Amino acid sequence: MQSFTYIRPSTPAEAIAAMAGGGPGTRFLAGGTTLYDLMKLGVEGPLRVIDITRLDALARFDTSGPHELVFGALARMSDVAADRRLKEDYPALSEAMWKAASQQLRNMARVGGNLLQRTRCAYFRGGAPFACNKREPGSGCAARDGMDRGNALLGASDACAAVYPGDWAVALVAFDAVVDTLSPRGERSIPLAELHREPGSTPEVETTLAPDELIVRIRVPRSGAGRGSTYHKIRDRESYAFALTSAAVAVRLSAGVVAEARVALGGVATRPWRSPEAENVLLGQPLTEDVAQSAGQAAFAAASPGVHNAFKVELGAQTITDALMIARQRAEQP
Amino acid sequence: MSHPDIPRVDAREKVRGATQYTADHALPGLAHGMLAVATIGRGRILSLDTDAARRVPGVRMVLTHLDTVGLQSAGFLLGGGYGFQSLQPLLGAAIAYRGQPIALVVADTLEAAREAAALVRATYEQDAISVTLDAPGAEILAQADSPLPKPAFADRVAGDADGALSAAATRVDATFQGPPQHQNPMELLATVAEWSRGELTIRESTQNAEALRHGLAKVFGLAPDRIRVLSPTAGGGFGQRNSLQAHTALVALAARELGRPVKLVVPRAQIFNNASFRPASRHTVRLGADASGRMVAAVHEIDHQTSRHDLFPLSYADLTARLYGIANFRGRERLVRNDIQTPGFARAPFEHIAACAFETAVDELAYALGRDPVAFRVANDAATDPLTGRPFSSRHVVACLERGAERFGWERRTQAPGSMRLADGTLVGWGVALGAYKAATAPAIAMLRVTDAGEIFVSVGGHEMGQGIRTAIASTVAVDLGVPAEAVNILVGNTGSVPQHLTAGSWGAATALPAVHKAALNMLRELERLAGNGPANRTFQQILRDAGRSHVDVEARHHAPGQPDAIFDRVAQGLPAAAGPAYPDFVSMSFCAQFVEVRIEPRTRRIRVPRVVSVVDCGRVVSPRTARSQVLGGVVWGIGAALREVSEVDPRYGGFVNADLAEYVIPVNADIGTIEAEFIDEPDPLINSMGVKGLGEVVMVGVAPAIVNAIHHATGRRLRHLPVRVEDVL
Ligand SMILES: Cc1cc2nc3c(=O)[nH]c(=O)nc-3n(C[C@H](O)[C@H](O)[C@H](O)COP(=O)(O)OP(=O)(O)OC[C@H]3O[C@@H](n4cnc5c(N)ncnc54)[C@H](O)[C@@H]3O)c2cc1C
Ligand code: SF4
Repeated sequence: MQSFTYIRPSTPAEAIAAMAGGGPGTRFLAGGTTLYDLMKLGVEGPLRVIDITRLDALARFDTSGPHELVFGALARMSDVAADRRLKEDYPALSEAMWKAASQQLRNMARVGGNLLQRTRCAYFRGGAPFACNKREPGSGCAARDGMDRGNALLGASDACAAVYPGDWAVALVAFDAVVDTLSPRGERSIPLAELHREPGSTPEVETTLAPDELIVRIRVPRSGAGRGSTYHKIRDRESYAFALTSAAVAVRLSAGVVAEARVALGGVATRPWRSPEAENVLLGQPLTEDVAQSAGQAAFAAASPGVHNAFKVELGAQTITDALMIARQRAEQP
Repeated sequence: MSHPDIPRVDAREKVRGATQYTADHALPGLAHGMLAVATIGRGRILSLDTDAARRVPGVRMVLTHLDTVGLQSAGFLLGGGYGFQSLQPLLGAAIAYRGQPIALVVADTLEAAREAAALVRATYEQDAISVTLDAPGAEILAQADSPLPKPAFADRVAGDADGALSAAATRVDATFQGPPQHQNPMELLATVAEWSRGELTIRESTQNAEALRHGLAKVFGLAPDRIRVLSPTAGGGFGQRNSLQAHTALVALAARELGRPVKLVVPRAQIFNNASFRPASRHTVRLGADASGRMVAAVHEIDHQTSRHDLFPLSYADLTARLYGIANFRGRERLVRNDIQTPGFARAPFEHIAACAFETAVDELAYALGRDPVAFRVANDAATDPLTGRPFSSRHVVACLERGAERFGWERRTQAPGSMRLADGTLVGWGVALGAYKAATAPAIAMLRVTDAGEIFVSVGGHEMGQGIRTAIASTVAVDLGVPAEAVNILVGNTGSVPQHLTAGSWGAATALPAVHKAALNMLRELERLAGNGPANRTFQQILRDAGRSHVDVEARHHAPGQPDAIFDRVAQGLPAAAGPAYPDFVSMSFCAQFVEVRIEPRTRRIRVPRVVSVVDCGRVVSPRTARSQVLGGVVWGIGAALREVSEVDPRYGGFVNADLAEYVIPVNADIGTIEAEFIDEPDPLINSMGVKGLGEVVMVGVAPAIVNAIHHATGRRLRHLPVRVEDVL
């Protein structure tokens, strides 16, 4: 950890200005549960930190709108998790929050920061002596021949197979969420599916955001499959653990068959991973356990496991199957 | 006499956050330390660059191996010394393991110390490493042929196990792997060191204040009476706090050089790699039964890790030889030297994993014989100690099994694996296993004072680590003197009074309480003498006032059966002096039976433990509330050890990779179902005047094998390693 300058603006415009004047190595700070953690580990070392938690306008969220749900980037995870309407209308979005981290962390962390949390790959977090292309581009990847139980089976490259660890973004990508940003160049909207990048040959570049770009809100278009949804998460303990495998699924049934299907995976991919393969298996079919199993298998057809994570092909498929069975029950409720 | 269920005497402070732990001490002028540690697995430091670190504003000192001339190692706790290992970091350029400290930075603020520690740069000459049991380069040493003292560390042999095994009608042969695990007490290892007029005061939560005192005396060449160690309450010990830590002397040195108090709170990741842990072990168990289904032979061969610099002795077979009445037993133990810090004791250090290997094999044998696992165990109970032929001081194994079976509803169990499914396809498994743990005793001195103001002070050798020793002491004094427990002021973990022998091995109560009890009886006698022929029914206060005395002091000593009085010399030198389980006329152990239900989800195969019943024979229960709490804690530890905890090793780098509480998976509340604790509560007639055997460790023993056996019952799979995770049952 090193000394840094701390700034606390009170409007988005001030925040953007502070960032523009900050130069390289300036970072936004929301709840700090990722950023401060990585600073203490020596993995990140910003010289200037812009605390955005006083941008009160960005702390609001509204789950009652007719067309979309809107979450200010600084809404607290705990508040979003506890929202009654969200629990009822979009259980997957609520459960993905509930099952993330711990109550203490959720009280601190904000939804914007949540999207940008970084991998838990032990070699990334551990610092010296581990080689890590993400932390030190070009240094190699210690996980390749090492402990890859937590690494990705989907979307990996030779350079890096670090899992995107978050839960909420997985649920968001299932619902085609959009991220609105602000930068000195103005506002823009990015589909959440395009926010995170696969590692390719530059694993240190994790998102399509510019370094000076501020996430101001997240929008989720309303979906007929909201109520028939769940976020199912399998982990090494039943709370306070990242996903081994997770599935955000949502279905709308019509005349006994699946009319709308949304399937996304967590814990197994380098970014929040939508699975059109699984969705295609489901569409137009009655949602039987067999069909659910086929969807689960389809989602992992292209998986390329490493040494210690091969079990996630089966576990991931079963997680999807379980999730679909839960979603069906909810979708069938009048 | 059964003891009252009094609340924990320190509950209020704890709940209010008022309890002071080491890191809470803020002395005037306090400086803050942070360690820089080696990034290689073995080799030597060629050069150290501390310039950048020294330039950080607020940095007062960077201690390296070039600044420690004249200091010497305190030695290894199990090698006649006082340290968790013999290697005292910063005494030389050699690096024995990744995570060994190479510098201590001290600064005005914690932030500056952290920043500077990260700037210490070293160049090394690196050697190849071997950090696992099977790694090339790991040296194997049979304990029987090692310099470790005999007969304590000889092979355990009764009869002719190999002969009986080859003649046995039914045999089982299984190899079980135990992973390295860490104790992870909540309170981080921490020290506050302060010098005043050549005298050193150490505030450090420990299980062994006397070893800290004498260890530091040795390091600095000081008289022990110039050193005071204060450890009123530790936030958990579990064996990791049983001796002088690697950093303590360095903090004291920095405080002396700077002339101001220095505090170091060691970050969790550094504790993983520079303090003791439960070593990896491998167990081969061979069992044989005769045609009648009686177990007649057992062989238990164990390898476990130790460091290159110390021999951490093994004591696994000492337990398994005594679980049953098996006439022919052979235990063989070997040390495997790796490039690691010296491993050590972690709650039920040998017994937990030894029982796991043995009790899963016993289950397998019961199945091979078509016998019910509870009935099979009852039928194979021991009448006398198989190793020595001596009687057990008390042994209620059968009662533990039978009461547990009844409470658990065992008669509703169907034997065939996979036969107890729920409607939704969930697999249900019921498993049982025995646990046992030596009833050890250490020598203790107790001092008791009653004042004319009616105050009661007791001081005794012992340490509070949250297990509740204060409550047990208060309860003992309260019952003996007929006073309320709140009236008893207790001093433990303080070297300024009576000697503070290591509190570990579940001997805390059996060590401190008999001494306290004896002191209380001495006090009653003394007060009776003072009361003379005066009026009856006077309070202690009145008796003292009438006799013109401000206070009365009494002292009492207690040691294990068969120990000479000279044993108190060892205690006074801060050396371990516990005895047991084999005493001259008997063998004394605590026992328990663990009953576990697991449920395994049909598709994702998540393993849950909704229910545990634990029946314990620990002699008399002196403090019902803290006793129950020990059982809950032990069972939770067992669930963690069985299903979650592993300290991950990357053989290319050494050290441990998942070195924090997010990635080292201890159980959370959501993982724990109901835990029912039941006590036999029969005073042991021989071990001591209180009839107490040990409790804190036995309660963990048997939980893991009961879980593994239940998983077999649910799935038909015999798993032979810990932790069992979802990938093992998919
Ligand atoms: C022990 C532990 C366990 C956890 N378990 C889980 C889990 O099970 N599931 C899960 O999903 N998460 C888990 N997390 C991660 C946690 O959810 C994230 O750390 C948290 O959501 C991040 O939010 P924050 O507000 O604290 O972000 P910060 O740490 O403040 O910021 C994170 C990053 O985002 C950037 N940033 C923040 N806000 C903005 C913005 N508005 N615009 C642009 N950039 C921004 C920051 O610069 C920084 O790089 C865990 C974390 C810890 C420490
Ligand atoms: S997987 Fe990625 S994050 Fe992990 S060590 Fe390799 S490069 Fe680094």
